[in-house]
Amino acid sequence: MEKLFQPKADSPQAKDYSKFVLKPKEEIIAQLKEANKIFLIGCNKCFKEFKKEIITASEENECVELIKMIREEGKKFLGCLDIDFLCNRIITEKIILKEEKLKDADCVLVNSCGLGVQTVAELVEGVVAPVPVFTAADSVPQGGQHSLALDEEKCAACGQCFLGLTAGICPIVNCAKELVNGPCGGAKNGKCEVAIATGLDKDCAWDKIYQRLTLYGLLGDAVDTSKIRDYIKPSLKTKDALTVSVRERRFEGFYGGVYPLEKKEFTNHKPIRVAPEPKQVVIPLLQHSGCPAEPLVKPGDKVFVGQKIGQAKGLISANIHSSISGKVVAVEPRAHPVCADKILSVVIENDGENQLAPEIKPKGELKDLSPKKIKEIIYEAGIVGLGGAMFPAHIKLCPPESKRIDTFILNGAECEPYLTADERIMVERTEDVVYGMKVLMKALGVEKGYIAIEENKPEAIEKLRAKSEERRAKSKENIEVVAVKTKYPQGAERMLIKRILNREVPLGGLPFDVGVLVNNVGTAVAVAEAIKTGLPLIKRVVTVSGEKIKNPENLEVKIGALFKDLVNFCGIDGGDLEIKMGGPMMGIVEENLDLPVIKGTTGILVTFPSEIKFDLLKPCIKCGRCLDVCPMELNPSNLGLYTESENWKRMHSEGVLNCIECGCCNYICPSKRSLVEAFKLAKRKC
Amino acid sequence: MLVTQLKPKEELLPIIQGERVLTLQCYGCAGVFFPKEEINLFLEEVTASSGRAIVKNIITDYLCNHEYTRARIGLWSEDFKKAEKIIVFSCGVGVQVVSLLLGKHVYPGCDTIYLNGFQGLTTLNFDCAQCGECFLNYTSGICPLTACAKSLLNGPCGGAKNGKCEVASPTGTLMDCGWEKIYKKLEAIGRLDILKEVIRLRDYKKLETGIK
Repeated sequence: MEKLFQPKADSPQAKDYSKFVLKPKEEIIAQLKEANKIFLIGCNKCFKEFKKEIITASEENECVELIKMIREEGKKFLGCLDIDFLCNRIITEKIILKEEKLKDADCVLVNSCGLGVQTVAELVEGVVAPVPVFTAADSVPQGGQHSLALDEEKCAACGQCFLGLTAGICPIVNCAKELVNGPCGGAKNGKCEVAIATGLDKDCAWDKIYQRLTLYGLLGDAVDTSKIRDYIKPSLKTKDALTVSVRERRFEGFYGGVYPLEKKEFTNHKPIRVAPEPKQVVIPLLQHSGCPAEPLVKPGDKVFVGQKIGQAKGLISANIHSSISGKVVAVEPRAHPVCADKILSVVIENDGENQLAPEIKPKGELKDLSPKKIKEIIYEAGIVGLGGAMFPAHIKLCPPESKRIDTFILNGAECEPYLTADERIMVERTEDVVYGMKVLMKALGVEKGYIAIEENKPEAIEKLRAKSEERRAKSKENIEVVAVKTKYPQGAERMLIKRILNREVPLGGLPFDVGVLVNNVGTAVAVAEAIKTGLPLIKRVVTVSGEKIKNPENLEVKIGALFKDLVNFCGIDGGDLEIKMGGPMMGIVEENLDLPVIKGTTGILVTFPSEIKFDLLKPCIKCGRCLDVCPMELNPSNLGLYTESENWKRMHSEGVLNCIECGCCNYICPSKRSLVEAFKLAKRKC
Repeated sequence: MLVTQLKPKEELLPIIQGERVLTLQCYGCAGVFFPKEEINLFLEEVTASSGRAIVKNIITDYLCNHEYTRARIGLWSEDFKKAEKIIVFSCGVGVQVVSLLLGKHVYPGCDTIYLNGFQGLTTLNFDCAQCGECFLNYTSGICPLTACAKSLLNGPCGGAKNGKCEVASPTGTLMDCGWEKIYKKLEAIGRLDILKEVIRLRDYKKLETGIK
């Protein structure tokens, strides 16, 4: 198999993919004649393979050469910064602002392509000091190098693809004369005459095209239809419009993000159906972040619907309730969809009677309930964040005294592809969504509330807008529905807060640091249920979808029902499967379907196994795509390399703990490196 | 940076005459720029208006990666065998890789164009023309080739009105005079003397000697 990432040693491209080369020495020195204290900024070039140990710009010959040059001239060298992708203004700005020595410099010398130099010049002028910025390099044209096609030039990007006429061999790239209407006639024995004259060995491109066309039997039509090349195309106007649109998309709402295929059309028009009653449920005592609950029942006990079977234990924990009535057959460790280890679970045999526990009663009118009482009800009902994180809701509702919460955001963004459970809840249970939100706002004592929904759910937006306006007219409630741009991960708390309120949650901080609390729409419905009927959290809506599911559905499922029953209810195609709990971006890969639905099961996806396995050992080609999409503004390419070399200290200082595991870097990586896996590991290690 | 545009419809329609057309779309660069919506709209239109069905529409990413494309082509080998015509919507690299691996005639669905300077992570309001001989030293970090509509190297043309360039920018808005910006910047850092130097002539030959 040909190795993609190692260009042939004898090819002229093998040496370097640099986009810039050092200027002649005289030219650099001439520029520096007025300067005395020089600061150096180098760019770690793009499209360059990393070595195992990351080589920084200062270690590279040219930076060492530059430092030597500065010292030889009797100038003071203040320091050097190596930045990956200088042209990324957002990240470059942060690094430059932190550098103290830069402030003393009377000249900044930059070793990068023209984009990097201009970025630095703009930043230095704007935020550091009005000192000259000089470049040490010339940028070189790099047309045709793209993504992974580094080993040879393949596409000249001429703007009018001829490949359909030439059987997949590009005449612009491969013919020395760039002829588009046949050979020049100068080839000798199939070798290009231009190449022969310059001492190279190159086949005549048109000879190759002719042979391939003959092979495909396409000789007739191909040559006739060839047009004269239009050098005007593409116009500057087109290019400019493209550039502008790309820039706009990148900064829409928040930095970075990706646009995966939504695939929500499988289920977004189908009403929520109630799943068939399970014969047996397996209810893990850990369905929340924090400590497992203590079991309150033993095998042989009779339990009722809504009866508490697990008592919250420890600071962060939540109660667990029975979702059916019947007999406890076992309390034993069972496989869990999130934890790798088996977790103590209560197994209950259904008696089919659905008898309610006697303590399940409506909690009365909202106006009679104090915030304290509401928090108690939520605690008792074992409600956790239903968006997938499963953080106990009652703890979220009690922020530290010092933090004042002024805004509540209800999260209906549902940015994960495939999942539509929240969308259907908003469409069908609009009343409960708004009621639950009101309860949560009362518990917090917050006046202003937003409901954030991605633009791809117009029906939900319309319904909630109508509902909130109707209520505003009646009771002066201050709830606003905000349609946010569809972009992954719009549903992450930080991104929502940035998009709606333009507040930045500090790194390592939580939303309450900026006076905001974010809850999922599913959570609001669970809260509404707990007040209106008194039922604790014993069921939830789960999207069962994926290419391998015959009838994808949104099902209302009892907690503890098994994946396989739900999947069989919807119908499943045989063959190799990939099972995920949650969405395709952040979901957890499961080995089998013998797992119970827990409070955080937003969806069950059954898809084709991916044909390419993600692996951290695949080489990083330093294309910079991951930096481009990371919404936390981290440098995933570097972080991946530090994981490889197990440099946990460096990982920590580069901010791996801020990673929200959204999977954007994995999604975009052309090399398919398993970056998120690596960061999950690193977070445990540092 | 390579970006792709949908080919003109007149060019594509004759291709979709076959009974069994298979389309292959590469979404690898969709995060940067790929005419996803236009392509799907076009395919929908074609199927609706002419009744010509697309037998299979495969969506994948990074066709340019030989190893991955080879692995995937194995998965779809049955579909490829059945297809009469294959249209690949990707940049020119993707088309060539598929063509090479399949040993079959494939049609490109897109034209590829090259954006100068749009490399890596440009999120900027300026550009790099990759001229091969950086002039930023003379102009304190404002590129005269891209900031000046006429790419003048030795000062303003004199045609600017109130600091705005007399040549309308491609987007229709008036752009600032690049040389006025350069002057102000040099003034701010006290290096107007640079302007008195004679800038060497641009060497267009350098465009040819780049690493290509």
